[in-house]
Amino acid sequence: MDAKQLKQFLQAEGATLVGVGDVTKALPKEIVHLNRGIAIALNRSLTKEAVDKLVRLQTLTEGWLKANGHRSLSIPPDSDRRKDKLITKLYRLFCHKTAATCSGLGWIGKNGLIINEQYGSKLTWATVLTDAPLGADRPCVSSRCGDCDLCVRHCPSGAVQGHLWSLRNPLREIVAYDKCRSLKSGRTALKGKPNCGFCVTVCPYSRNGAKK
Amino acid sequence: MADETRKKEILDKLRNGVIQYDEDACREGAQEAVAEGLDANEAIFDGLVSGMEEVGRLFEAQEYFVPEILMCADALYAGLEILKPHCRQMDLGVKGSVVIGTVEGDVHDIGKNLVKMMFDVAGFTVYDLGRDVPLDKFVEEQLKTDSELVCLSAMMTTSMVGMPKVIEKIKEKNPNCMIMIGGAPTSKELADKWGADGYAEDASNALKEAIKMVAFLKKLRDEKAQKK
Ligand code: B12
Ligand code: SF4
Ligand code: SF4
Repeated sequence: MDAKQLKQFLQAEGATLVGVGDVTKALPKEIVHLNRGIAIALNRSLTKEAVDKLVRLQTLTEGWLKANGHRSLSIPPDSDRRKDKLITKLYRLFCHKTAATCSGLGWIGKNGLIINEQYGSKLTWATVLTDAPLGADRPCVSSRCGDCDLCVRHCPSGAVQGHLWSLRNPLREIVAYDKCRSLKSGRTALKGKPNCGFCVTVCPYSRNGAKK
Repeated sequence: MADETRKKEILDKLRNGVIQYDEDACREGAQEAVAEGLDANEAIFDGLVSGMEEVGRLFEAQEYFVPEILMCADALYAGLEILKPHCRQMDLGVKGSVVIGTVEGDVHDIGKNLVKMMFDVAGFTVYDLGRDVPLDKFVEEQLKTDSELVCLSAMMTTSMVGMPKVIEKIKEKNPNCMIMIGGAPTSKELADKWGADGYAEDASNALKEAIKMVAFLKKLRDEKAQKK
């Protein structure tokens, strides 16, 4: 089956990036048969419009796969916020970052976010898992942050510690999320908004992405 | 509901909506059923539930996997939500109070929820403990609410083995309480063997059984009161 055709189709429909990854190693037993992860990204922040657009792209992907006789499971961009249904229980079994790295669209930066060469972390992601034997892209196996440590120095909560990510140890905790969270909830209480995200704004990759 | 073919059309829409995990179709079918005066109980059991039975078959044939089943269940619930308020309120002369839940280790609650719905419709007071319920919780809740009836549901051969333990404990603390079990792997034989007072193979029969049991209990109580 032709992955290229699917990518072109989704890009024509407005996707910023589309990749196909072999996610076999990251699958829990409930969904072992869905071993291809289609990562779809939009160069927007996680707004309602972006979510709607990504969900539409996922629906198109599902339709395309079904027409070719294959199963699929869409993990929506805001998967952590959805709780109202039974199927939402499966969402936390799979993380968008895995599909993105497995399909070579980015690595996990020192800031714990997906960093794409071109857009940095200014992307919103969605995943469609499928059993269609699509040709997989070459995965990103290690961090390309190198010696840069801008996000480490600018993080006000000390959450970003400077660990380099690698596919060999994909689950290592790169960012101390409890620190980040407590800083943000403190600010939300004070100002009504979390007001941080330095780890995104200082990243040279993200700044490049913003210029375009 | 006048037309038989139209009725079949709606039932098929509900059934296929569940099978094809199409929530919109289930909602639409349910709305049509309500608008055109189709009996809500019939729409649920001959439409939605009959679809879920086919889903079970597809799962066994390995044509469906866990994600499909969850989506089918979501579709069933989408239709159920609309149909439930339209279920006939039945006045069956007897009302009781019942503790219900799916036993520890088992998250299958679709069947349990249907049984619960039948109790609601019949005006029973229902204490729903949900699913994957620790065995002792049934005993506690029965004592706390002094319910006449405890209903245990299990869908797996591995989880149903918890049932005799609950039955024994409840009977020890409160011999007058009646216990009914159900769910696909259970049977009348098992119910008898484990000392349960009742068994039913589906939700409507569960209600019939329950009414029989509660009526029996009330009669016992009345007789006792008279003797005093
Ligand atoms: C839907 C489903 C699921 C859904 C459940 C969603 C939910 N919220 O309920 C999900 C995907 C979560 C699921 C998970 C699993 N499932 Co499952 N699942 C099913 C399936 C396909 C349908 C069950 C169903 O809802 N039927 C429809 C309802 C309406 O029918 P019902 O439950 O039988 O209820 C009716 C009667 O039994 C009766 N009744 C029910 N309760 C009570 C109680 C009382 C007191 C009374 C009187 C009557 C009564 O009235 C009801 C209405 O008329 C069955 C297959 C099948 N053919 O049954 C497998 C099945 C039950 N699952 C099975 C298995 C193995 C699993 C998993 C281990 C699978 C896995 N690999 O992950 C997990 C287990 C999780 C756990 N620990 O519980 C096996 C059990 C095997 C066994 N004998 O032990 C089955 C039989 C499939 C199979 N052939 O292997 N499953
Ligand atoms: S959001 Fe702020 S506190 Fe959290 S990791 Fe980024 S820079 Fe640090
Ligand atoms: S700021 Fe530097 S170290 Fe941090 S994620 Fe971006 S490239 Fe990596």
